[in-house]
Amino acid sequence: MIPFFFTLVFLIFGSFVFQFFLPPVLLLNGAAILFAPALYFYGCLSLPFPLMLALTFVTGLLNDLFMIPQVKSHADYTAGVSILVYLVPGLIMHGLKPLFLRHRWELHWLLAEIGAALTPFILVAQYAIISIERTNFFFNDVIVWRILGPGLISLLIAPCVFFILTPLSHVLGYRPGLPLAR
Amino acid sequence: MKRTSIAVIGIFALLVILVLLLPQSTKQQMQGALFQLISPILRTGASVGHELGGVRGGLKRLDELERENQQLKFENEQLRAANSLLKNLEAEVNRLNRALGFREQSPFKLLPARINSRDSATWWNSCTIACGSKDGIAPDMAVVTENGLVGKVTTVGKDVALVLLVSDESLRVSVSIEGTQEQGIVSGTRASSTYAPDLRIRFLSKTAKLQPGMKVLTAGAGGVFPSGLVVGTVKDFAAKELEGIATVTPAVDLAEIQDVFVIIRQK
Repeated sequence: MIPFFFTLVFLIFGSFVFQFFLPPVLLLNGAAILFAPALYFYGCLSLPFPLMLALTFVTGLLNDLFMIPQVKSHADYTAGVSILVYLVPGLIMHGLKPLFLRHRWELHWLLAEIGAALTPFILVAQYAIISIERTNFFFNDVIVWRILGPGLISLLIAPCVFFILTPLSHVLGYRPGLPLAR
Repeated sequence: MKRTSIAVIGIFALLVILVLLLPQSTKQQMQGALFQLISPILRTGASVGHELGGVRGGLKRLDELERENQQLKFENEQLRAANSLLKNLEAEVNRLNRALGFREQSPFKLLPARINSRDSATWWNSCTIACGSKDGIAPDMAVVTENGLVGKVTTVGKDVALVLLVSDESLRVSVSIEGTQEQGIVSGTRASSTYAPDLRIRFLSKTAKLQPGMKVLTAGAGGVFPSGLVVGTVKDFAAKELEGIATVTPAVDLAEIQDVFVIIRQK
């Protein structure tokens, strides 16, 4: 369990670094390709509650340190806020763990798609926070695409991530809900 | 609820509060350390990216040449390829000459830096440059090119720095309009479908007589940006209920920049 947790942390770290080399999808009005939420949601489904919280802490903090320029003066989105932003969909996914533990590929696929559908929630929450801080709330088609686009892309990415992580966890000796490998 | 779960939630809540209450300077240091950790990857990735860009550009040229060859059969293919290469070299030499000239003529001490990566975060516009504290860079230093303002340094690692671009909504710069007494605050947009969105000047007077093409210069208020740096040119102006708002085309093509200068100090 612990090796798998650290592998997930390493993969999430790697996905944030990888994102620097992924240009936004201009066809989707500049929507970003996000791998970290899919990895995080898999962790929420497979890990026990304490490790899920630890993963939320690491993912949220890394997200802010990697993505948001921390200015010296007043920051409208200070590092650490994303821990709470990630926590809400993370808890929803953790609540679906019993489905995950049935170990049926179609359920894993369904859960991956639920995770993808929850990805825009993270972006909506970030948008709401900066809008409130900057006291300037507006909506246009670019913003809608920036929020929904990563979710659409995740609909394709998340199942692949899930189907790679399941055998990886087995290789690392972590088989939640399954008898231990001999 | 199990006692262990309550304890875990308590520890989690405590850690979150602790992180949120950390001073901004500590968070900047944490970010600097993190970027320092990944700076070799960013540097390698940037050089691979430039190589790939070169290959891609080369293929495009070959493709164009092939089409042109079909149209103009009498032309020699090899000569055209050489010509094309020379043109690229000439453009590169011209670009570097302009940059060198700007560096020599500038009243500031400038440190050249190459852009490592563009951030693909959804709501923020930033990039990393391959220079850091060991080169004398510190937070809040202005970043420019020979064409004008690019942004300001926010976080610094040993040999990497994070630059908040002028196209970001949270970067506000006091500006004046050349040839007028008008002053305002320019900022970028929160989300744009392009890498190089237009900027917006707010707090102009409603009666301002701004014409398209007028130069927008930094006013020097606030101490971060020296006065007289070109920000862009006025695209249009609209008088609102309380203020005048102008749209500005940035002087620097933020989608294409590869090399920048950090203003270290006045000469």
